[in-house]
Amino acid sequence: MIYWEQMNARPTPTGPAKLLHVHWPLVILICCVCGAGFLMLYSVAGGNLDRWARPQMMRFGLGIIAMLFIAMIHVDFWRRISIFAYLGGLALLLAVEFIGEVGMGAQRWIDLGPLRLQPSELMKVALVMVIAQYYAWLPQEKVSHPFWVAVPLVMTAIPVMLVLKQPDLGTSILMVAGAGVVMFLAGVSWWYFGTAIAAVATTVWAVFESRGQTWQLLNDYQYRRIDIFLDPSKDPLGAGYHITQAKIALGAGGLSGRGFMQGTQSRLDFLPEKHTDFIFTSLAEQFGFVGGLTLLGLYTAIIMFCLLSAFSNRDRFGALMTGGLTATFFFFFAVNMAMVMGLLPVVGVPLPLVSYGGSAMLVLLGAFGLIQSAHVHRPRGAYG
Amino acid sequence: MIRVPLRPLAQVIAARSQGLNPDIVEAERRAAVLRNRRSEERRRAEWRLWLLSGVFLLAFSAVGGKMAVISASAPTETRRAVAGEPIRAHRADIVDRNGVLLATNMVTSAIYVETRQMVDFVGVAEGLASIFPDLDAETLLEKFERPGNFHWIRSEISPEQQQAVHELGQPGVYFGPRETRIYPQGQRIGHILGGSRYEVQAARAAELEGVAGIEYQFDDRLGDPEQIDTPLRLSIDMQVQNATRDVLQSQMDAYGAIGAAAIVMDATNGEVVSMVSLPDFDPNDRPAPQGPDGDLLFSRASQGVYELGSTFKAFAAANAMERGVAGPNTIIDTRGPLTWGRFRIRDYHNYGPELTLTEVMVKSSNIGSARVALQTGTPAQQDFLRELGFFDASPVELPEARNADPLLPPRWSELSTITISYGHGLAATPLHLATAYASVVNGGLRVHPTLLAGATPPTEEDRVVSRETSQALNQMLRAVVSRGTASFANIEGYEVGGKTGTADKPNVGGYAEDSVIATFAGMFPSSNPRYVVVVSLDEPETFAAGAIRRTAGWTAAPTMGMLVTRIAPILGMRPQPEVLVENVPATTLASAGQ
Repeated sequence: MIYWEQMNARPTPTGPAKLLHVHWPLVILICCVCGAGFLMLYSVAGGNLDRWARPQMMRFGLGIIAMLFIAMIHVDFWRRISIFAYLGGLALLLAVEFIGEVGMGAQRWIDLGPLRLQPSELMKVALVMVIAQYYAWLPQEKVSHPFWVAVPLVMTAIPVMLVLKQPDLGTSILMVAGAGVVMFLAGVSWWYFGTAIAAVATTVWAVFESRGQTWQLLNDYQYRRIDIFLDPSKDPLGAGYHITQAKIALGAGGLSGRGFMQGTQSRLDFLPEKHTDFIFTSLAEQFGFVGGLTLLGLYTAIIMFCLLSAFSNRDRFGALMTGGLTATFFFFFAVNMAMVMGLLPVVGVPLPLVSYGGSAMLVLLGAFGLIQSAHVHRPRGAYG
Repeated sequence: MIRVPLRPLAQVIAARSQGLNPDIVEAERRAAVLRNRRSEERRRAEWRLWLLSGVFLLAFSAVGGKMAVISASAPTETRRAVAGEPIRAHRADIVDRNGVLLATNMVTSAIYVETRQMVDFVGVAEGLASIFPDLDAETLLEKFERPGNFHWIRSEISPEQQQAVHELGQPGVYFGPRETRIYPQGQRIGHILGGSRYEVQAARAAELEGVAGIEYQFDDRLGDPEQIDTPLRLSIDMQVQNATRDVLQSQMDAYGAIGAAAIVMDATNGEVVSMVSLPDFDPNDRPAPQGPDGDLLFSRASQGVYELGSTFKAFAAANAMERGVAGPNTIIDTRGPLTWGRFRIRDYHNYGPELTLTEVMVKSSNIGSARVALQTGTPAQQDFLRELGFFDASPVELPEARNADPLLPPRWSELSTITISYGHGLAATPLHLATAYASVVNGGLRVHPTLLAGATPPTEEDRVVSRETSQALNQMLRAVVSRGTASFANIEGYEVGGKTGTADKPNVGGYAEDSVIATFAGMFPSSNPRYVVVVSLDEPETFAAGAIRRTAGWTAAPTMGMLVTRIAPILGMRPQPEVLVENVPATTLASAGQ
């Protein structure tokens, strides 16, 4: 690193001066999005601050402090501990798998006193970190070698299997997407991505094509489950109910919405999950298309700022991690929106930074802390 | 391995001679090497980042576009509500087959406040609290002080309450007229009608929407402005429905059963004349699915998937006769136990070494049915049960029934063939059973269950068994009642025929010892069956003839007897003198041995 020191025209900031180098516009955008979330939680609780909004604000406060704290620690430290974060996350996942089974079952939480965390949330970040670390270590010419491609695939497959078993399809999708984007940015050959996409497409095609044929791949009842998953209207009182109500709320908002606290759909308890996964519908109903588009713009800006930071970052780990975490954040948002608008089946992914829920909020802010750390400590080279 | 080249001496010397610091020259050179090495990698990464940004932007545009489409093109409910135009508040009535009103609309009011017009918050809050006992002044006051002008108070109030609110004389309190869906028959028909709720509530009207049952299934038809004045006519006969529910409730209480179901079906065309599941719920006050009474919503008749026990022996017998494997008087080997792999099939009693097929039915011999089914063969059994509708969810017009897929063995072995011949290893709803019985006893024409009046009778194309097979089966089913396990169902003059079925309830890893589902599936009159009846009791128990009895012969069969006594006169059936059937000499099923 002595070499860097010599070559740096501007040194990376140290001490309290680092605070000045935090990407403040990004912090402000994050606060705006969270603020919109508080308004919505206040509104869907029928004007009750204590029900959802206040606990969410407290978590946000905690999360923002944690974010700045993480940002102050050198990104090299985060690179070095990535593998341990990953192994720790894996251990926690296994722990809920076995200990959680004895308990109540469905919800997989780890209780840390006042803080309850879902290991799968942590794993989303740890997985991106460890794969970024891996590619920062791996010499460029080996990136597309089959063996060195298999390693991150196995690293991804293990936690994804565990999460799928919970079962949490939404989180599995986010993990695969995050890891895939890091591998993509690291420069893994197009062939691998092409083959993976072709393989998935062929499998899906074969499963559907074989239906009713002699070489049918699945049982009839499995097809019926797929049917209901793809077309929730076949299960009118289950998944279909959410989507129909959400569409009505979106339509009800029109261009400029009904006004704050004026949404009948969401306030009269027609909407299920109105404070978690389907909170966007409350926003669209009260603030209409304009409100929805504004939130969309805020998300776009956050993601573009993060990607620009990745562009300007010469540290391979920092750039890859920033890219991967940004992608995770993007998929978080995209899957939720697609779900709410009926483009995708309901898989249970909250709207990032807006939906009620402590785990997701803290982990997301922590992830932004990592992005900030990579940004603050990016090498400021004399060349390029 | 990339080798780091040594400092080229020539450069060092050249630098020195020019008076430059060779260290800086060297550093610049190494930077250049590094730059070259990384440039390729960075170009690639940057290009891919651009691509990723492009994909993200595209996705954002897609979401934005979809949002625009939804907010612009889905104004069906809302534009009208916002603009104050009438919304689809009306809904057609539902009547039974004789025109008895099952669901209708009544005009009531909703009450709301507009705080900007209000003068005296405390007065309104206290006044409303005194009129509506479930509201209290403090909560109301808190509601009024929240941001926003418009607040709902209640969605349905009675005319008396409305008058009382008028008499408060407070400005800012308003009424919104709306139609309420009323179910005059209450819980007697809750599982069939389902229920409704307000879909969109605006101040001046509210749109009704079906949430389950017939109300959901025919939501478009009932809300169609063209057909508002034409009531939807169901196949249900409310008199029969009342009688069925009364009998079932009394028998369920008498046997301490935890639930019960009964179906009366017109055997000639599949119309469901009555369908009852207990316990039931009142559609006027439909419980929340996740609430404490949520399981009341479950219909045992159309949603409950059960192993239906020996009632399935009728299908084994019909299939064997249809395929010429055996006739009513063919001798069947009933020596037991029948050993198949590590399983042993036993009978309830030992019925001796051989029985005719009719006696196998009358005595309800598992071993006899198993041998007949093995002789008929697994593919034939599968085909027959598929034709009778046991492979798919029932096509009846209830959205809930569509999810009640029958449970079939994952791998249909010969052991499956054996157990399914006496109704274990395949689970279906009582509605499936009624439909299948109707199809085999009505002369052999496949019917489809329906809840709408005016079903078209099946034609020759729907034939599943021949007329002769159907008649022979009817005589067997009659014999089961006249001198077999179901003698308690023998109501003089109605020629009741049918089959009992007692299935142990499954529990973790096997079957429960002392809880059963007792089923009776039958029809009357057996010389020319007009109605099929299925009765099912969940965990019945009675003390009779010196022992605790759980089998269907002691529980479901007497229920059937009482049911026929009550409903046959309503259905216009007259008691007929019995026609005696002569016995035909027995033939032997030689190949049925082990």
